[in-house]
Amino acid sequence: MLRPLFASIWMGWQREIGWGNPVVAILARSVAPAAGALTAEIVYWFGASAAGLFDPGRLAYVVVGASLYGQVALYAYVPTSAISEGKNSYVFPQVFMTPSSSIPYLTGRCVASFLESVPVVVISVAVCALVSSEFFHATLPLIVSPLSVVLFVTAMALIFPSALGLGYLLGSYAIFASKFEWAVPSYIAGTLMILSEALYPASVLPWPLSTIALSLPFTYFMRASRDVLLYGSLSRYVTDAGVAFLLGMPLLVLGLLAFRAGENRGRMKGFIDRKSM
Amino acid sequence: MYARTWVRVRSIYGEPLWLVVGIAFPLFTTFGLGFLYRSSGVGALAGFAVLGGIAVSFWSNVVWSMATQFYWDKQEGIFELYLVSPAPVSAILVGMSIGGFVGTAPSALLVGVVGWQVFGSAVTPSWALVATGFVLTIVALYSLGMLLASVYLAYGRQAESLNDSVMQTVSMFSGAYFPSVGSGSPFPVSLQLVVSLIPLTIGMDVLRKAVFSPLTSAFPTVYEDLAILAVLCVVFFVLAQWAIGRMRERGRKKGTLVVRQG
Repeated sequence: MLRPLFASIWMGWQREIGWGNPVVAILARSVAPAAGALTAEIVYWFGASAAGLFDPGRLAYVVVGASLYGQVALYAYVPTSAISEGKNSYVFPQVFMTPSSSIPYLTGRCVASFLESVPVVVISVAVCALVSSEFFHATLPLIVSPLSVVLFVTAMALIFPSALGLGYLLGSYAIFASKFEWAVPSYIAGTLMILSEALYPASVLPWPLSTIALSLPFTYFMRASRDVLLYGSLSRYVTDAGVAFLLGMPLLVLGLLAFRAGENRGRMKGFIDRKSM
Repeated sequence: MYARTWVRVRSIYGEPLWLVVGIAFPLFTTFGLGFLYRSSGVGALAGFAVLGGIAVSFWSNVVWSMATQFYWDKQEGIFELYLVSPAPVSAILVGMSIGGFVGTAPSALLVGVVGWQVFGSAVTPSWALVATGFVLTIVALYSLGMLLASVYLAYGRQAESLNDSVMQTVSMFSGAYFPSVGSGSPFPVSLQLVVSLIPLTIGMDVLRKAVFSPLTSAFPTVYEDLAILAVLCVVFFVLAQWAIGRMRERGRKKGTLVVRQG
């Protein structure tokens, strides 16, 4: 179990980062997420300044959330990408013809994406902090200490099962889909942006969106990240990170069951090596 | 030109899922940033996010379906057909632009209708200015797309891998969702001058002023913006023609015009 997992992590890392200098690759990967986070930062600055309600604390709230949601979406998309791209490049048929399930392969690819996303988030937050300081003359009240960094990375690790579960669910769809799988990340990222308190509190949303937002593990992950990076509240962090992890478990189990069922049916019906368009 | 337009329109309208796929990115971003405007204290500015969503629908089409199209066509062996046909390549690109615009219009319209229903922003449109600004913005954007098609064809995978970064970065600098030029801009004047070379920047400034005049800055005036946009249309169209010629010449000399990249 562990050997294929580590091999898949290595393969995923090589695919995402190993095509060139790792530092350049990480920087290149960070451009789009940083631009997205900056857009949200500037929108808040523009709106709040026009209303006379600008608050650096709230700006930091937006920056942290805007830098995070895209990354969660990114590794939730990995199984879909690994399957659809793998069908076209004949990598996936070589995976599923092995005696075991494709699950260790997809998990390894997700772990590689997770490892890549940590520096991307850090770069995105750092760029936003720099822009805030240079252009808005506002220092983001971020708490950066060894403890807060460790707790933040722990929160990212605790939300990983949820993202993995979502990834397996989408992966089971990708086995049967023959087109438009590439549109999936827009939907995941968009849903997380609107519903996971990435940019604003759930109370801003109309009902029932606000209720849906409060039932998502990703919402509590955002809260836990802000608890350590902005508010320095360990007790709230423990609660929010715990809720995020617990809400993610059913999603992971559901994703695993759906993927197992999809994979078996795909093998029987011949969908599993059908190329996508 | 008509043939390429027809192919593109058929390919989009023949597959209703394209509408669902095409609307995702601009609609979600519109909602996210619209609610962010609302939560920051000025709900009236949520209309900026809706307008940005409409423009980004077209920008997304330019990046993904214009700039990269020749490269993909080359990879699939269709580009040779364009070269051996008697039709000029520029006519094919113009046809692709018209088809792309017609195919994207329903998604953009849907973003606008849904966005305005949800956020209900008050608008004070000057329809003549809106129409002029919109037409000039679209012409300038698709001319830029024609130029990028040649660049992407020449540089292949390296350019294609930059697509996502180009898409997001240009959306940010061009101020699709907030003013990036004029008195409300967060950018220094030197950066504002640079980003003014992107047609989307000036186009968005015109459209914001034409739709939400009380909420926007007075400088540059909408007529100055329209003049700059008209110049950009001509410049990018001429540059696109020149780039197509250069691309063909370079490809013929090096023998790479129809060579597929692995």
